[in-house]
Amino acid sequence: MSKITREPIDVIELSSRVEMETNGAVVSFVGQVRNHSRGQDVIGLEYEGYEEMAEKVMERIADEATSRWPVQVAMQHRLGKMQVGEVTVAIAVGSPHRDEAFEACRFCIEAIKSEVPIWKKEFGSDGSYWIEGENRTPIRLQSESVEGNDVPAVP
Amino acid sequence: MDDDDPSPAVKRLLGAHMPTAGGLANSLYAGKEIGCTAVQLFTSSPRQWQHTPLSDETIAGFKQAKSKTGIAFTCAHDSYLINLAAYDNTVLERSQRAFLGELQRAHELEIPWVVTHMGAYLDMTLEAGQQKLISSLKRLLEETSDLTAGIALETTAGQGTGLGYRFDQIAEVLEGVGPHPRLGVCLDTCHVFVAGYDIRTPEGFDQVIQEFDKTIGLHRLMVIHANDAKKSLGSRVDRHEHIGEGEIGVEAFSLLVNDPRLLSIPIILETPDADKMHAVNLAKLQRLAAAATMGMHIHVRLFGHYSESDQNDQELAVPSGLSVQKLTDILAERDPNLRDMASICRVAINEEYASLDTTLKEGDVVAFVPPMSGG
Repeated sequence: MSKITREPIDVIELSSRVEMETNGAVVSFVGQVRNHSRGQDVIGLEYEGYEEMAEKVMERIADEATSRWPVQVAMQHRLGKMQVGEVTVAIAVGSPHRDEAFEACRFCIEAIKSEVPIWKKEFGSDGSYWIEGENRTPIRLQSESVEGNDVPAVP
Repeated sequence: MDDDDPSPAVKRLLGAHMPTAGGLANSLYAGKEIGCTAVQLFTSSPRQWQHTPLSDETIAGFKQAKSKTGIAFTCAHDSYLINLAAYDNTVLERSQRAFLGELQRAHELEIPWVVTHMGAYLDMTLEAGQQKLISSLKRLLEETSDLTAGIALETTAGQGTGLGYRFDQIAEVLEGVGPHPRLGVCLDTCHVFVAGYDIRTPEGFDQVIQEFDKTIGLHRLMVIHANDAKKSLGSRVDRHEHIGEGEIGVEAFSLLVNDPRLLSIPIILETPDADKMHAVNLAKLQRLAAAATMGMHIHVRLFGHYSESDQNDQELAVPSGLSVQKLTDILAERDPNLRDMASICRVAINEEYASLDTTLKEGDVVAFVPPMSGG
């Protein structure tokens, strides 16, 4: 139910995995590429991960959520290059009642952000940066010139 | 690293040129303190012609220091003023007399080799300079036939009119003097590199040692000076740098301390800032030597901006029983950009988060995980 993918995430399909007749609530969280960051325009992102480990850690987070709340959890994180508006991560939590579903969903996204070994590179109007942690200064890429075709070249 | 000190058949001797402030014996005590098993020293002030003969007390003190410290190899470096290829007969005579003093003092201190630069030919032709040097060496060896200390000609950087920056020049001098048991050679890594010998890769290093063996002969090699270079390959400018921080880079020094052909040759550091940095540079060489002799192999993976380092995704031979913390030191030596990794990253061993003091095992996959930014 938890996986890393390099394909676009199908949010509807993911939700359908936790839709059960006993569930009165399905809460989804969908993360997507924002067009700005730290006051600068963002053109696109690239996520890289320690894939072998990332999937294991995601499964552990889902297990933790289902042991704490009466929920079913499905989640996917996408790696690779993405443009503004594309879905980077999606979580679907199904539960008999909405409170548990909201709580468990919140838990999952926070745990993904702090525990799953995935990092993003931001390609923006002011250059390309590694983002490491939410509050640390971005680090400029050493190899800026080599970007793929699916993200517009950075001046 | 004493806790799992291996005992290879040949103990690789490593040390440094140590200061003699407060007496010659202090070079050995100070050397012992930072872990030297070999020490080079000046037996008189290197910038003065005048020297007083060694007192019995100095000689006894030095011998006692040798046995107390167990330092297995010593060598002397001659005065900077000496030019055994000098054109001017007054300078030449003075140089030869000073060098006789060097050999005499080394003999009395039971130091087997006096390392000397090969002199400069100045206004003469290179050939004429070489001839002067050859006759100087012949005279010195003849006049000291009752002494034990020998002369080790050092490969030079080839600054100005300095002799001896090509192996074949040294070979010509050795040939001119004729084979002599008290005539040997000292190889300086910085000098050969700036003289144009590229030792930075395994292939290059191997080729340079092969060429040395073919032209000079490895049986002539008595001591090695390990210095990184501030200046580039072929620049012929002699500026020493800390191990792994210069133009040569750490790989050559790993090759140097682990080359089976050179295992019996003592290695001496002549890097800058002796007081503070000899201990650091020596520890680097010791680690490089230990890594190969006590092998276990681990796989290193770096993430986030650290993944741009050339140290990412590699098999690394490291000492058995190495902790993650020590591994970060090794990686930081190989790439200074990784210096802050230990304080910033979490570590994962075989895809599980672990602590920095975890002891690594053969085959472990060690990943350094900076703060994450998924979601």
